[in-house]
Parts: sequence; structure tokens; C-alpha cells
Amino acid sequence: MILTKDIELLDGLPIAYIKSLNALIVADLHLGYEGVMAKRGSALPKVNYNKIIEMLTKALDKTDAKQIIVDGDIKNEFSTVDEAEFNELFDFINFAKQKKVQLVLIKGNHDNFVERYKEPFKLVVHRQETKIGDYLFFHGEELPHETKGVSMMIMGHEHPAIGVINAAGSKEKLGCFLHGKYGRTPILVLPAMNYYAAGTDINFHARNDLLSPVFKKTNVDKMHAIVVGYGSTIDFGPIGSLRNL
Amino acid sequence: MINYAKEPFSDEESLAVLNPFVRKWFEKNFDELTPPQKYAFKLISESKNVLITAPTGSGKTMSGFLSIISRLFDLSMQGKLEEKVYCIYISPLRALNNDIHRNLQRPLEEVLSAIMKEKGVKVIKEGIRPVTIGVRTGDTTQQERQKMLKHPPNILVTTPESLAILINSSKFVENLKSVQFVIIDEMHELANNKRGVHLALSVQRLQDLTDDPFSRIGLGATLYPLEEAAKHLVGYNGSEPNDCTIVDGSWSKKLDVIAKSPVKDMIYTDQRKIEDATYAELDRVIKKSKTTLIFTNTRSGTERVVFNLKRRFKYGEDIAAHHGSLSRESRLEVEDLLKKGNLKCAVSSTSLELGVDIGSIETVVQLGSPKSVTRAVQRIGRAGHSFKATAKGEIIVLSRDDLVECTIMLDAALKKHLDSFTVPQNALDVLAQHMVGMSISKKWDIDEAYNLVRKVYAYHQLPKQDFMSLINYLAGNYVGLESRRVYGKIWYDEAQNTFGKRGKMIKVIYMLNLGTIPDEVAVNVMVMGTKKWVGNIEEEFLMKLKPGDIFTLGGRLYRFENSKAMKAYVTPAQATSPTIPPWFSEQLPLSYELANEIGQFRLEFSKLVSQYIAKKKLKLFSSKSKIPKAINDYLDKLPIDNNSKYSIYSYFVEQLLYAKEVPSSELMLVELTKDLSEERYVLIFHSLLGRRVNDALSRAFGVKLAEELGTDIGVNISDNGFVFSFEDRPRLLNEKMINNIALELAKDGIFTMLKRNIRNTELMRRKFRHVAGRSFMILRNYKGWKIGVSKQQINSQLVLKAAEEIDPNFPIIKETYREILNDTMDMPRAEITLSKIRKGEIKIKMIETHFPSPFAHNLITFGHADVIMMKDRQDYLRELHKRVMKKISARK
Repeated sequence: MILTKDIELLDGLPIAYIKSLNALIVADLHLGYEGVMAKRGSALPKVNYNKIIEMLTKALDKTDAKQIIVDGDIKNEFSTVDEAEFNELFDFINFAKQKKVQLVLIKGNHDNFVERYKEPFKLVVHRQETKIGDYLFFHGEELPHETKGVSMMIMGHEHPAIGVINAAGSKEKLGCFLHGKYGRTPILVLPAMNYYAAGTDINFHARNDLLSPVFKKTNVDKMHAIVVGYGSTIDFGPIGSLRNL
Repeated sequence: MINYAKEPFSDEESLAVLNPFVRKWFEKNFDELTPPQKYAFKLISESKNVLITAPTGSGKTMSGFLSIISRLFDLSMQGKLEEKVYCIYISPLRALNNDIHRNLQRPLEEVLSAIMKEKGVKVIKEGIRPVTIGVRTGDTTQQERQKMLKHPPNILVTTPESLAILINSSKFVENLKSVQFVIIDEMHELANNKRGVHLALSVQRLQDLTDDPFSRIGLGATLYPLEEAAKHLVGYNGSEPNDCTIVDGSWSKKLDVIAKSPVKDMIYTDQRKIEDATYAELDRVIKKSKTTLIFTNTRSGTERVVFNLKRRFKYGEDIAAHHGSLSRESRLEVEDLLKKGNLKCAVSSTSLELGVDIGSIETVVQLGSPKSVTRAVQRIGRAGHSFKATAKGEIIVLSRDDLVECTIMLDAALKKHLDSFTVPQNALDVLAQHMVGMSISKKWDIDEAYNLVRKVYAYHQLPKQDFMSLINYLAGNYVGLESRRVYGKIWYDEAQNTFGKRGKMIKVIYMLNLGTIPDEVAVNVMVMGTKKWVGNIEEEFLMKLKPGDIFTLGGRLYRFENSKAMKAYVTPAQATSPTIPPWFSEQLPLSYELANEIGQFRLEFSKLVSQYIAKKKLKLFSSKSKIPKAINDYLDKLPIDNNSKYSIYSYFVEQLLYAKEVPSSELMLVELTKDLSEERYVLIFHSLLGRRVNDALSRAFGVKLAEELGTDIGVNISDNGFVFSFEDRPRLLNEKMINNIALELAKDGIFTMLKRNIRNTELMRRKFRHVAGRSFMILRNYKGWKIGVSKQQINSQLVLKAAEEIDPNFPIIKETYREILNDTMDMPRAEITLSKIRKGEIKIKMIETHFPSPFAHNLITFGHADVIMMKDRQDYLRELHKRVMKKISARK
């Protein structure tokens, strides 16, 4: 789906492509998730890493991108780098190397210690928020500081989704992009790449219950939910109209 | 081989096997042997496996224990009694354990003091030691445990869960090598659930640890089929069950039972008058009997009855309630008062149905149907404490369907037809747990472990493939090699064909997380889009809810919207009545056998009544009509009062005059009609098969009908049938379509289709969490952290999806489907029903009516069917009835 002249949301993938930067934009990978969970007593099947690689491979085939910008939370643990995380992070960096793409990391709240690996792996790491081209990338756990001259703000963190109640009676969640305005500046919220992050069903949550402070400053009901799933990416209209599904 | 004990042994034969001091003690304290004792003393003294069933108060416990006590005193007097465990007694009820301890303490002390008296100082010289007894449950303190390790009791009283811990405690196991007897009490509580399967595996593992084979003694109240219970008790050896002798004393107590209708006309009598009559009857029984025990089917019902009895008849502290929501102290107090004979009447939901000794009860009254013959016999069997007494009981019915049900139930009880239980077969989650337990004890050869497991009846047909899928799951083979250290609970060496424990933590994990009962939690009910909390519901109840269902909470109506983890979101409902009654999850489903017997009765009785209608050219029926003689004679053979006879008769006449057909064991009537209040069209399947079968059947029919008709349909399920509702009249629908659907379902089977149907339900997500917990995939207790249920629940849908992607036969998923389809629902019998339709043994007939026929009334008003809110429901019923009667008379 074409979002703007410069931005394409790749069909069926939680990935945005920016032509002028020749970059794929993703967020919230939470690599090592299952390993961390297993250490807490939940032996979830390992699927996250393979799914992420599968999706990125598809996206790279479609676009010829030369960069992957990870807009925060490449890994899961807050405080340490877990062994399982490290292994997957290492594999992920190797994957990028093989595909000959540059990894650009924006630090998220789960990304302490990433900097330690910056040098040996030749990673580009930005703290908190950064402008690349005329795009402002920030993870989303804090408000952005400088929005002047920005053509689009891009964030992750929220894991947006919409909830749809199915006939059998349970709620199905579909990940989505949120697209709207923050003040006067356009904003795009990325869905989570992580397989186990079902996401926050924005249409079932009051504005005050959302995670990011960004939503205190903007009316989420006016933002469009661009839903990703079942092989396509479709604009479902503003959240406000999806409240009574 | 399983065989029945036929002739009792003579008293002399039975007593001769006892140690002389034990015999003297018995003869001093009891006048005679009770029926089960006449078999059990000798059989157990010969170390046979024995299953004893007998009602409460028939000396069942003593019949199991006395020969064992005798054996231990024999050893003691030979100076051979050591500080070892010789007998393990296991009861599912913790309360019962203390009872047993108390009850055995006395004979042990008295026999010992008799020996001391006779032998004097020789006791020391001959090394005669007291026979000791000790209790070990979750409540036992660390200090007591330590003491027990050093000085184990000769008789160990415990629970299934504590036993599972003991057999994995490397030090205590040494004390268990000497076990000669294992007694399992309250077998009926353990027969049809995973807890019983868990225990059976523990006992088989214990067998593997002891020096010599021990004998297994099962005790239970009414339980059928006995052969099944015996196999569950003793297990298999190859393709044959081990030897077991069944002592069937279930019927040693005579029954004096009757079903009563409080009023003659259950439809038009004012609700207040029905209530008056019901309470007057209760009062009459209470006044007449020394002690009365009343069973209601729900906890709220229990409170209401106590309140009303006190208010109406000025009873005071001599009436008390006893149910699961009361504190343990208040329950114990009530039990104690009963035992001492200080209560005139106790009212209970289910909690006093079994176990705990409650002294002598003269009459049992049951309000509404207890839903199974076995349960009726168990409850009424609480009356008349001595084994020679007659158990006196009555059921006061609440509606005409209830009446027919209870009549046939009591008739079946008198004919000794019981409903059967099924042992869950091949439950993979319980097995996974035990395989972890086994791996902790030692290194296993795969085949050795598999053979051990197959000795348990619940696994005697376990495919090797399923066993291996668990080995692979537990070994963490579904993740890459490098993660197995974290994921794997066991290691598996394919080349050597062996497995064993992985890591030091696993033992602690096992001890903290074993058991089969999921964490019980209350679900918070919130008004959607707000933070307003309106109350709690049980998770069991939430599992039954579909979005759009309307239920009551705190006296208000709410519409269920959706749920997230442990929160349910609702909106206040404008509707007039709930679609799902509040006790829906508490209410026990009607048993399949009883449903069948009712179907048989409907068949026979409707034939009789229709002959009469044809002969008399009867076209109209009024409340003054008399019951014809032939019909009266037939009804006289049933255990009912005169009001009931009239009610049953008029019920059938009305149905026949209005609809020409009575649904029965040979006829599945399908009725297309209109619901009065909602102006919807409803399609009623009069399939009297019990809720568990109907749950499966209705889903299968529902999916097919929705496909054929191309519309969305709602469904309501009850014991007597299921109801589909439509916005508009389904034009394409006809008898042929329904028949074809049934034939297609019979041909293709319903397994795949049901699986697809339940895939995205609340039920599936929650059961998956339970199964994942039992199989240690998601741990409740880990490294000192208690993981909250909502954390466990969250994402279970995604875990499910991920596991399916790895392997659609992933054991945790397979078990979730098995539990839902075979334990929660009854898919096997739904398939039997479909094949009966295919063979023409059950006919499907479709009729269309202007408003629901009399037999449909209770199905339609199901949601209203709470006793408290009887008023609305009765108004509605009455309105329906009026229209039916008008239609019948208009035809004249």
C-alpha cells in the first residue's frame, strides 16, 4: 500500500519502506523473547526469530533496500543481555551482513547494553530520537523533542493492533500501523515485528490506557488503522469508527 | 481377571483370619459383621486386590482396614514390626484424612493395651511395638515431615498429591519399599477425572519401587460399571487386567424413595402458592424426622432455602447451610453439630454428598433433579446411618420436565440401573508430568518406562507414538539444540533409547507444580470502556459465555462482550431475561444413561396415551380431566405421588394433541417455531441426550446448517435438546435437509469439524492454559515466583498458533482437543447417536408450529430457569401454555 509519495507499507508485512532512504523500517523485534520467557517458566515454542527473518527476506526481495532501520526494541530484556538474546542478535547481524544491508538501531527502552556491541559489529546506534533525511525516528516511550522540519515522525513501542470479535466468540487481534497527525506533523506508528506480541487492541482501549505519552497529546480516534494480516495491508479507517466492532 | 465375590464367608470364617486381640476388640465393639465385611476380612487377609462398594455407614472403612491392622499386630507380636510403612491410605478429601486418623487411633490403642495387659513385661522382651499411624498432606509442617522421615508410621494416611511428592522424595522412598497394602478411598471421586488418572500413575510408580507387589484395595460409594473401576484400581498386565475381586455392596441398603410435585397443576398455580407448598412439604418432613438433610443443586439455592425455612417456620440455630463457598471452619462446625445430633436439618449444595461422617440422618430431601441416578442414590443413601436401615428420600420437582426426569431417575434407582462413568484415556498432560517425575528418580530405558505406563488402565492402549511425542516435547526437541538446556525438562538419548532428568532445578519445579487441578481464579467483570467493576464470575462460567450472551450479576443484567486474560467486559443489557442462567457452570449435566431411560419412558408412555386419545377421539383436554384407568395403573408402578401422576399425564396429552408427536429414544423431533418474546424464529432439536452430547451435536448441526442456509445462527444447549435461533424464517429449511446433514455427519465423522469449530473459542484458550500448566509448558511456580493466572492466560492463543505451526500434533494441543471433545463434551456418544440415525434406529421428523409445543417450553425458557427468578419464567411458560391450549381447543 502506498502511504505517501516516499513511503510504501509492504503488503501483508509489518514493515514500511522509505524510497528516499532506500530503507526498511521495523520496530519491536524483541529477539530472544522465547529464551527469556523459558527462563521465567514458560516454554514457548521458538518461532519469533524465524518469522522475522522470513518477513525481512520477503521485504528485501521486493525492494532492494540497502538499510534496515530498527525503530527500537531489537531485543527483549531490560537490564541485561541474555544468552538467548545474544545468540539471536548475533544471527540477526549476520543475516544483515549476508544480505549486504546496513543495520541502523534506534535505542528503545529494552535496548540498554546494545551499545556494547556497536563497535565489534559495526552497528549504527542512535540514542532516543534521531533525524534521518527529513524523517524523525524515535521509539515512543518518551515524547519527541524536535519536530521542526520533519515530514513524518515514525515510532514503535505501542504494538498497535485492532481487535475483531469473531463468530466463535473470541477476539482476534490484527496488528496495524497507525497513521495520523501529532500536532501538525504527520506520524506513523509501526506494528510490532515480534510474533508473540499480539499487540494492544487500540479500539478496545481508552486513550489514557495506552502506553506511549504520545497518545496523551494526540487524538488516537482520528488516526487511521492500517491493518496487516492475511497477506495484505488495508486501511480500516479511523480508530474512532472501529470502536464498536 | 476381574471377578465378583458371590457368597459371603461365614462370620466364623471371617473372624478366624484375625489376630486374636484384634478379633476380641472387634467382637467387643460390634454386634455383627456388615455385608461388605463378610467378604472383605478374608479376601484382604489373603492379600487379594479388592474393590468394595457400599453406602455410607456400612462399615466400609473398617472392612478395608481391619485385616490390615490384624496383619500388623501379628507382625508386632512376632517382634517383626519395624519402623516402616506397611499400608498407605489415600483419600481425595483432606478432611476425611483426619477422620480416618481419629477413627483408627482408637482400635490401635485399645488392641495394644489389651495385649499389654495380658503380656505385661513380656511386651518388652518379645519386642512388641505399637502399630503407628500418621497423616501426611499439604498441611503437614516441615518439622513433622522431618520426624516422619526418621520415624515413619506403619499406616500412612495421605492425599493423591502428597503421594506423588513422596514417591519422588529420594529419602522417603526407602520407607516405602515395605508397603504391602494400598487403600484408595472415595474411588467414585477419582473415577472420571484427571486427578484419578494422576493417582493411578503414582500408584503404579510406587509398585515399581516396592520390594514385593502390594495389594490394592478400593473403597467407594455407588459406582458403575464396577469392572471399569476395578481395572482403574488394579491396572493391566499386557492386554489383560490384573486380578481383582469386586465386593458389590452398593445395594445393601434398602431405598424408600418418591418424587413429589408440590401442587397438582404446575403451570397455572400461582408461583407463590407453589413456593408455599414446597416449603410446607419441607417443614412437614423436618418436623416428622429426627434429622433431615436437604440438597439443593446450587450454593445460592442453599442459602435461600435456609433463609426461607427460618423466616417462615421460626427455625433457629437448629438449621444450617453447608456449601463450598463457606469457610472451612463453619463447614466443620456444621458437620460436628450433625454428628452430635444437635441439628434438626442441614441444607447443602453438593458438599455433604460424600465422605465426611455426619452421623445419623433420617430423611433426605432433594430439591430439583440431581441429574444422575448415581448421584441420587449417593445423596439419598446418606439417610439411615446403619447398614440395616432403609434410606428414605424424596425429590421435590420444579417443573414438568424435572418431574419426568426425577420419576425415571428414582425408578432406575429402584431397578438398580446406574449411570456409568468413563476413565479419561491417554491424558497426555498428566502423563507428561509423571514422566518428568520418573526422570527425577532414575535413568530410564524408554521401553521400560513405556511398559510401566501401559500397566495403568488409563494408558493401557497408549500408542507408542504418543509416548514418544511426549519424550520429544519434554526433551525440548521442538526447539533448536542450543536452547534445550533451558527448554528441556529431560534429556533423551536416541541411540541408547534412554531418558533422564535435565538440570538440578527440575526436581524443585516438579514438586512445586505437580497436580491436576488448575489455579482457581475469579474473573473480574468490568463495564466495557470504563474502569467500573461490577463483580466476579468464576472462570468455569466465563468459558461457557459467547459474546452477546446475557447473564445476571448482582441482580442486574449484562451482555457479555469479550474477555482479556482474567477480565470480562460487559455492557448493561436492555433485555428482559438472561440467555444463560447463573448456575450454568455449577449445574451438573444430565447423564447419558438416564437421558436414554427417559427417552424409553417417553416412547412407552406416549404410545399408551396416544392409543387412549385415538380410542376416545379425544380432542380437548382440561384440567378437570381424570386419568384413565389403564394409564393410572401404569403410573402407579412409578415412585411418585398423585399430583405427579396428574402432571405427567396432562403433559403428554397436551403434547400429543398439539404436536401429534412426542420426542423419544427413537424419535428426534425437530420443531420450527417462533419465540414469543423475541419475535425470532427458533429451530428446536428435541434431542434428549444430556448436555455433554448435545454440546457436540449442536455444534456439528450448527456449522452445517449455517453453511446450507447461508446465515448466522445462535444456539442454546440444554440436557433435553438444543435450540437454534434465526432472525428470519429459514425458507430453505426442510426435513430432508436436516436428514441429509445427519447422514453426512455420520459418514464423515465430526472430529475435524468440531476441532475447527472450537479452535477460536474461549473454552479452547482456557483449557489450553490448563493443559499447558499440567504439562509444565507454562509453570505456575518457578524459581520462587508465582506466575499469576493472567500472565499464564495472556497470549495462550499465540502460543497455540505457534505450537500448531511447529507440529499440528503437538502433544499439548492434542490433549487440549481430547479433553474438550471427550471430557467436557461427549463426542463419542454424539457420533453413536448419528450412526443410530444413519441406521434408522432414531428417526428425524420435522414439524412446524405456531408457537412452541409443550415439550419445548422448558427448552425455550432455559435461560430463565433459575429457581430464584421462577416468577418471570412461570409467567412466560403460562403464556406459552395458554396459547397451546387455545390452539388445541380451536381445532375442535
